[in-house]
Amino acid sequence: MHVFGRLWLLLAFVAPPVAADELTPGEHAEFRFVRLAYGSNQLAEYGRGRRTKWRTDMPEAENHLLQGISRLTRVEAAREPHAVTALADDLFDYPWLYAVEVGYWALNEDEAARLREYLLRGGFLVVDDFHGTIEWATFIDTLSRVFPDRPIVEIPEDDEVFHVHFDLDSRIQIPSRMFIYRGVTWERDGYTPHWRGIYDDDGRLMVVINFNMDLGDAWEHADWPEYPENMTALAYRFGINYLIYSMTH
Amino acid sequence: MFEALFKYSDIDYAHGELAYTSLWPIWLWVGLVALAVVAIVLSLLRRYEKGRGLKFASVGLLQFAMLAVAIFVLLQPVLRSEELRPGVNTLALLLDASGSMANGAGGVTRFDTARAQLDIVAETATRTGLEVRRYLLGTEAQGVESFDATVPAAEGTAIARALRDVLPAGRTQALAGIVLVSDGIDTAGGLSAATFAELAAAGVPVHTIAVGRERMPEDLELQRVSMPTRALPASTLTARVSVRHDAAGTARVKVYDGDALVQSVPLQLHADVQTTTAPIDIPIDEAGYHRLQFVLESDGSETELRNNRQSSLVKVAADDFRILYYEGEPRWEYKFMRRALGPDSDIALTTLLQVSPNKFYRQGLDSPEQLAAGFPETRDALFAYDALIIGSVEAAAFSDEQLANISAFVSDRGGSLLLLAGRNGLGDGGWGQSTVADLLPVLLPPSTETSFVREKAHAQLAPQGVRYEPLRLGATDEENRQRWEGLPDLADYQRTTGVKPASRTLLTVRTDTGVLPLLVMQPFGLGQSFVLATGGTWRWQMSLPVDDDRHERFWRQLLRALVSNAPLRTSIVAGRGEGASLDVRVELRDEAFEPIGDMRVSAIATHEGGESQVVELMPDGESPGVFTGRFDPGTPGNWYIEAMARSDDETTEVLRTGIYVDPESREHFNLRANPALLRRLSDVTGGTFFAVNGLDTLPEILQYSSAGITETVDRPVWDAPAWFLLLFMLKSGEWLLRRRWSTI
Repeated sequence: MHVFGRLWLLLAFVAPPVAADELTPGEHAEFRFVRLAYGSNQLAEYGRGRRTKWRTDMPEAENHLLQGISRLTRVEAAREPHAVTALADDLFDYPWLYAVEVGYWALNEDEAARLREYLLRGGFLVVDDFHGTIEWATFIDTLSRVFPDRPIVEIPEDDEVFHVHFDLDSRIQIPSRMFIYRGVTWERDGYTPHWRGIYDDDGRLMVVINFNMDLGDAWEHADWPEYPENMTALAYRFGINYLIYSMTH
Repeated sequence: MFEALFKYSDIDYAHGELAYTSLWPIWLWVGLVALAVVAIVLSLLRRYEKGRGLKFASVGLLQFAMLAVAIFVLLQPVLRSEELRPGVNTLALLLDASGSMANGAGGVTRFDTARAQLDIVAETATRTGLEVRRYLLGTEAQGVESFDATVPAAEGTAIARALRDVLPAGRTQALAGIVLVSDGIDTAGGLSAATFAELAAAGVPVHTIAVGRERMPEDLELQRVSMPTRALPASTLTARVSVRHDAAGTARVKVYDGDALVQSVPLQLHADVQTTTAPIDIPIDEAGYHRLQFVLESDGSETELRNNRQSSLVKVAADDFRILYYEGEPRWEYKFMRRALGPDSDIALTTLLQVSPNKFYRQGLDSPEQLAAGFPETRDALFAYDALIIGSVEAAAFSDEQLANISAFVSDRGGSLLLLAGRNGLGDGGWGQSTVADLLPVLLPPSTETSFVREKAHAQLAPQGVRYEPLRLGATDEENRQRWEGLPDLADYQRTTGVKPASRTLLTVRTDTGVLPLLVMQPFGLGQSFVLATGGTWRWQMSLPVDDDRHERFWRQLLRALVSNAPLRTSIVAGRGEGASLDVRVELRDEAFEPIGDMRVSAIATHEGGESQVVELMPDGESPGVFTGRFDPGTPGNWYIEAMARSDDETTEVLRTGIYVDPESREHFNLRANPALLRRLSDVTGGTFFAVNGLDTLPEILQYSSAGITETVDRPVWDAPAWFLLLFMLKSGEWLLRRRWSTI
C-alpha cells in the first residue's frame, strides 16, 4: 500500500465519533443523503473495534456520491449529508435512509416500530457493508423487529430498481478497501454478493439490502488511485438507481 | 299644444312631408317678392337717420320675416303622407296567454292588464278603419274570435314561432301591423339575432306593449343550474346555481340525490346584484343515472315556489380518464403523488420525468412508444389526455408550438392544466413571461426573482375552498376544518404576485411573510387551469400515521376534479328545446378534437317506462361535427337517449345520455317581465314600444304603418294658427319697437 494510503486509513480510525444529535444541519435541498444512526449490538464489542459503526465511511462516501448524483442526474442534492436516529424528530422529513455496517446494528422496540412506520409511509432504506453468515444473522435479528412478518427476497433481475436510470444487468461483488490489501473481493464467508429487498403490499421496494458488498467504500475511495475505478463507477450507478427508484416508486 | 298650433300631431308631421299647392306661376312669385323687398327697403331708406342704423336694421328684419311668413302661407302648404287606406287593411292582435301571464299584483293578473290594453287597441284600430284579427300567444299562435273567455295556461312562450305563424297572413290580408302584448318572457330560448333579422325582413311593424313587473322583491328563483351531464363514480361534481333575486337576504340551496340529501349550501344575497351564482360541489358515489334535485329555500314568505326547484339527470360512469404529468426533476412530490393515486382504475396517470439532461423516465405507459420522444409535439398526442400537470419544468423547455398546444389544450380541448411549484416551476421557471401565462389563475413574478422557498409552511382552506368538494377531508364541516388544521406543514411553497379576478382561491399558505395563495383555479375557454404553489405536500404523507388518508384523499380528489369536467371526444347532450320539446345534440371529434362531419348519426329516445321514439339527427349547418335533433317527450320522467354514429369505413361510435323531463312548466321560471326584448322587437321591425296605459299615440302609429295598402293624403296646413300667430307677433313687435323709438 502507498504510504499516504496507510496514513489515510490511520486517520479514519482515530477520527473522533460524532453522535447523531450533534450533527450540523445541512443546506435546504430536495434530497439530503441521510444516514441512520443506530446503537451497536454485542457483535461490535468482539474484536471489531469500538468505533461507531453507523459512521463508517462518513462523510467521504456521501460527499463523493452526492457529487456524482449532481453530475449525472437532475436531482437537487444538498451539499452536506445528515444523520438521524430512528427516534429523531426530523426522521420523516427525509424519505431516504442509508445504514451501513448493519451487521452491528441494534434497534430497540421503539426504534424498530418507528422505522417500520417510516418505511410504510413511503420512506426508503438502503443497507450496506455487511458480510458473511454471522453478520447476516445479527442483521436479521434486528430487522425482524422492524418487519416480523415480511419476507426478505432476492431482488429479481428485471426489477425496476436495476433499470430505473442505469441498466445494471452485470452485477459483480463490490468490495471494501480491503480488496487493495488482500486482493479478494469477499470478506469473511461472504463470497457471493446478494441484492435483496423487502417489498410493500403494492410491490414496491422499501428496503434494499446490499449483502456481501460495500458500496460505501467504493464511494468513499473514489479518489483512491488504488481502488478499482470500475467498482466505483458501478457503485455510483447502484447508488443513483436506488435514489431514483426511491423518488419514483 | 303642438296639435293646437299646427293643426296636426307631431307624429303626423314625422310621417309626412311639406308640399306646396299654389297654382300661381313662378315668375309671378318672383316678381311679387321683388316688389315687396323693394318696397320695404325704400320705406326704410326714406326714414333713415344717421347714427340709428341698428334700429333701422331691426325693424327691417321684422318686416322681412313677416314677408317670409306671408309668402309661406300664400304658397298653400300641405302635409303629404302615406296612410293606410281605410277598410282594406288588417291589424293582428297577439295576446300572450302563457302561464307566466297568470302572475300579477293586487289581484290583477298580467293577462287581465294585457287584455284590457288590447281592447283599447282593437277599438282604436276599428276606428281607424282596420280589420282586427285576434291570436293567442303560447308555444305557437292560435287564432281566436275573442279574448274574453281565455285563460293564461299555455305551457310555453315562443314569440318568434308565433310571429312566424301570424306573418303569412300579410300575403293575403294586407297586414298593416301586429300588436303584441306580453311580459316578454320567452321560454323557447329567446330571439336570436338571425330571428330578429328575419322578422325585420318581413316588413311588418310589430308594436309591443309590455306588462308585468321587472322587479319582484318578494320572489326568489332558482334561475339556472349548470353542471356536467356525466361524472365519475366516487367523484365530486361541481354545479353552478344561479339565484335571481331583487332584494338582499339569505337563502339555502339543498341538493338531493334521489331522496337523499347530499349537499346544503347557504347563500348570501346582496342588494346590489340581481343574480347570485355559487358553485356547489356534489359528491357522487355509484355508477348509473342519478337524478339530482336542487331546492332553493328562503325565509318562507314567497308566494311562487314552483320556480324554486330544478332537477337534472347525471350519468355516472367509470370512463377512463388520462392525465399526463411532466416533471422536470426527480423529487418527492412526484413519488408521493403517484403513490397517492394508487390503483385508481378510472384515472390513468402517465408520467414523464426528466431524470438527467439526457434521460426521461416514463411510468404509467399504454405502450413502449408512448412519450418516447418526450413531451408531446403535436395536438393529437397532447389532446389524448384529459388533464396536464407540469411540475418543476422551465417554460423554456417547451417549444413555441408545444406552448401553443398547451394553451389550446385548455381553451379548445377543454382539458385541465395544473402547474406545480418548484425551483424550475411557476415564476422561477419563467411561466409568468410565457404564452401560457394568460390562462393561469395567478400572476407570477419574473424568473429573475427567486420565488420558490424551501421552508415549511402551513396550508389552510380559503373561504372559497371550504365548499370546494375536492378539498373535503372530513364528513362534516367541523371535521373537515379540523382535519385541515391538523395537517403537518408543507415542505415548501412558492410566491405568486396576485390572483386574477375570475379565479377561485381554494387554499392559502401561512408563511413567515404572510398568507399567500396556494391552490388557485379559474375557468379558461372550455377548460380550467390550476396552480398549486407548493411541491411539498409529500410531507403530509411522511409526517402522518400510515393509516391517515388525508394525503391520498387530497390528490385523488384533486386529480378527479381535473378530469371530471373535461369534455369527451364524442359527446351527446339532451336539453330543453322550444316549448315542451327536447333537443338532442351529438358532437363528434377526432383524436385532435377536430370535428368529424362525414358520419351518419341516428338516435333512439326511451322513457324509463319503456316508451320509445326515433330522433332524427341532422348535421348542424353552423357547427361542423355537430348533429342535432328534436323530439317531444310527452311523458315526464327519465328519458334515455342512445345515438349511433357510423362512418363510411363502418367505424361506429355509440353515445348514451339521459335527461329528466320535469312535469313543471318552464313558465314558472323567469317571472320578471322582460320589456327589453319587446322593445328590441319593435325597434328592429319598425314598430313602436308602448308601456301599459301609454297608448295615446296609437291611432297615428297605426295610421302610418309601412305595411299594408296605403294611399297618399294631403292635409292643408296653410291655415294652421301658428302662422297667423307668428304674423301677429312679428307685427306687434315692430309696432312696439317703433313706438318705443318714436322716430321711425
